[in-house]
Amino acid sequence: MAEPRPSTDPAPSPTAAGSGVSFRVLLTAGLIVASVLPLAVFGGLILLLGLDNNIRVMVPLLIGGVVLAALFGLLAAAAAVASVTAPLRRITTAVERVAAGETSPPIHLTGDDELARLAESHNRIASEVGRRNRELAALLGAIAGYNPADGPQTLAAHAESDACAIYGLIDCRLHLVDTITVPIEENVPGDPRPVRASVRAGSETLGVLAGHLPATRSWERADQDLLDLFASEVGVALRNAELFGQIDRQNSRLLELDAAKDEFLRGVSHNLQTPLTSIRAYVDQLLAGSEEAARDRRLQIVAEQADRLTRLVRQLLIVTRLEAGVLRPEVEVIAMATRVRRAWEALNASDVAFELHDEAPGWLAVADPDQLDQVLWALLDNALKYGGREGKVEVAIRVDDPADRIHVTIADHGPGVSEADRARLFTRFTRGATQSSGDGTGLGLYVSRQLLQKMGGELLLEPACEGLGAAFTLSLPGEPPGDET
Amino acid sequence: MNEHRARRILLVDDDASLLVVLAEQLRDDGFEVATARDGQEALRRLDAGWPDLILLDLMMPKIDGLALARQIKSEADLPIIVLSAIDTADSKARLLDEVAEDYVSKPYHYPELRARIQRVLARLGDRIPHQSLVLGPNLTLDLHRRAATVSGKEVQLTPTESRLLMTLAASLGDIVATETLLSRGWAETEEAEPSYVWVSMRRLRQKIEVDPDRPIHLLTVRGVGYRLVAVREDPSCVDASRAGG
Repeated sequence: MAEPRPSTDPAPSPTAAGSGVSFRVLLTAGLIVASVLPLAVFGGLILLLGLDNNIRVMVPLLIGGVVLAALFGLLAAAAAVASVTAPLRRITTAVERVAAGETSPPIHLTGDDELARLAESHNRIASEVGRRNRELAALLGAIAGYNPADGPQTLAAHAESDACAIYGLIDCRLHLVDTITVPIEENVPGDPRPVRASVRAGSETLGVLAGHLPATRSWERADQDLLDLFASEVGVALRNAELFGQIDRQNSRLLELDAAKDEFLRGVSHNLQTPLTSIRAYVDQLLAGSEEAARDRRLQIVAEQADRLTRLVRQLLIVTRLEAGVLRPEVEVIAMATRVRRAWEALNASDVAFELHDEAPGWLAVADPDQLDQVLWALLDNALKYGGREGKVEVAIRVDDPADRIHVTIADHGPGVSEADRARLFTRFTRGATQSSGDGTGLGLYVSRQLLQKMGGELLLEPACEGLGAAFTLSLPGEPPGDET
Repeated sequence: MNEHRARRILLVDDDASLLVVLAEQLRDDGFEVATARDGQEALRRLDAGWPDLILLDLMMPKIDGLALARQIKSEADLPIIVLSAIDTADSKARLLDEVAEDYVSKPYHYPELRARIQRVLARLGDRIPHQSLVLGPNLTLDLHRRAATVSGKEVQLTPTESRLLMTLAASLGDIVATETLLSRGWAETEEAEPSYVWVSMRRLRQKIEVDPDRPIHLLTVRGVGYRLVAVREDPSCVDASRAGG
């Protein structure tokens, strides 16, 4: 009897496997040989013994005969057992392989008894498991290849051709309609077998995948499960493609809006700055024209307001440049006290008391001059706006020597910043809600902090302090006084 | 070196009302002013005679100011001050380094514009190197694009640093007074103090010297000013041939 071969060859040669004789015949023959042969040998010996009277010769002969008979019996029994267990062992091994998820070569047993039928049944199961494994692998491969960027139409076409290829369908259609509108076909024996599966994404049914199988093919519950799995994965892929399309459309819409915004701001930049340039130039000329004109308060106001508008337009443009990430400061050395005084003078608030304490004489800040001007203007303007015209604006310049940093604190004597406003003070388009006077862009503090951070600095709101209003401290890298010449 | 003839300025801007008032303001300050409203007119004016300085708006709807500036630069090395509204993009401002000596954003304050013009004109006599200036094995200056190569690594220079080095390079090896550097590096309206020069020089040394504590190119002449010197292949040997002053 041949042992089942450990080879994974799916189609071993039948000669190597079968004995040529049915298992039942073998078993019967074995049992007969095992029981009859010893009796025959023993009977033969008794007969021989009866014919001869020489006892002395007979006793060893008899003993020898018994031993021989027993030996025959044992051999025959062993042969019978072997003929029974060998095919059983082969079937057991094969079933274990299938259970372990491996492929199993078909077992060839002749005859049509129970063991042969068992082997046949195993062979069928093994081949179907193998087929479904291949289908599952093809299915997973197909799903992995679905790209949401391809769009639902392309995906649906892919799904149809993939379903045909994976399941060996004659035809297949993906109906992305209400499932009820796709009639369920009856299975007529001899005709191609209709198969279908719902295409779902989550709890929503998107449609139905329907096709036909060759009439000769079997269709088990496991096959239906596999088709259902495929259909639901197709559903998820379709939904993803749909969402991708939506996001894509929204993205292009956002890009359009962004381009429109940029276009608008370019317009603002040119259409506001150009007339402002003329206004400023003519006012400059008028103010320089005569002593009398230079003292004309009306002309001064025009100049001030033109400057104010200019700063607001620039603030707006800085925001767009900050957001576009194109703002790169050019840092230079700057005497902070001079810069603060000039920024204050530009605000033309001579009726408000102003105190400047320079505790860092000789130190220079390292910053982009134009952008520092924007920051100082925004902070001083805020101090004026919220501090009240009766109040006093105080500026202190200090230096953090070991860290080489310059701190500038700008404080007013107004009501200060409420707890509610503190948290959102540096975000865009927010004003102190409690004392909003309606003017200003709500961008000043946001722009200031962003600009300072770009220059390696920082802007902080000081904790509320008795008798003092809002106090902001900006810090920037500093250079100690130079003393080289 | 300044002759008594008036400095000529060509003003190129598409805003007619601005051209009128700015031309008047400049004439009041003793400049000889020609105006052009577009690139074609500007090129025609240049054919008739070169000015000392061009004031150019880069944001003109009909022509590309940058292309015009490049064309002018390719024909003659005229100093250009760009007078332009601030754009939403910074990329343009970067391109300015290539063609412009300075940039004044609109709306401008006339005194500031005048100060910038005077600063650029003051530099006219300087021989500004337009090619790479090799000062030693470890230092090459590319001032026309505001960069220096230090020990093989490129470092960016700020506009002021670049102006200071241009002034020093124009008198390579000679002492340049602190006051001169102050007037070249900063416009009058910036109220710069001598400490601006001292600190800027210290910062420049950090950028361009291999060992900032033992400078070999950017040297201090105590009580007077600074010198920029080239060194031979052997970095310890200072080029003495030009170190006269």
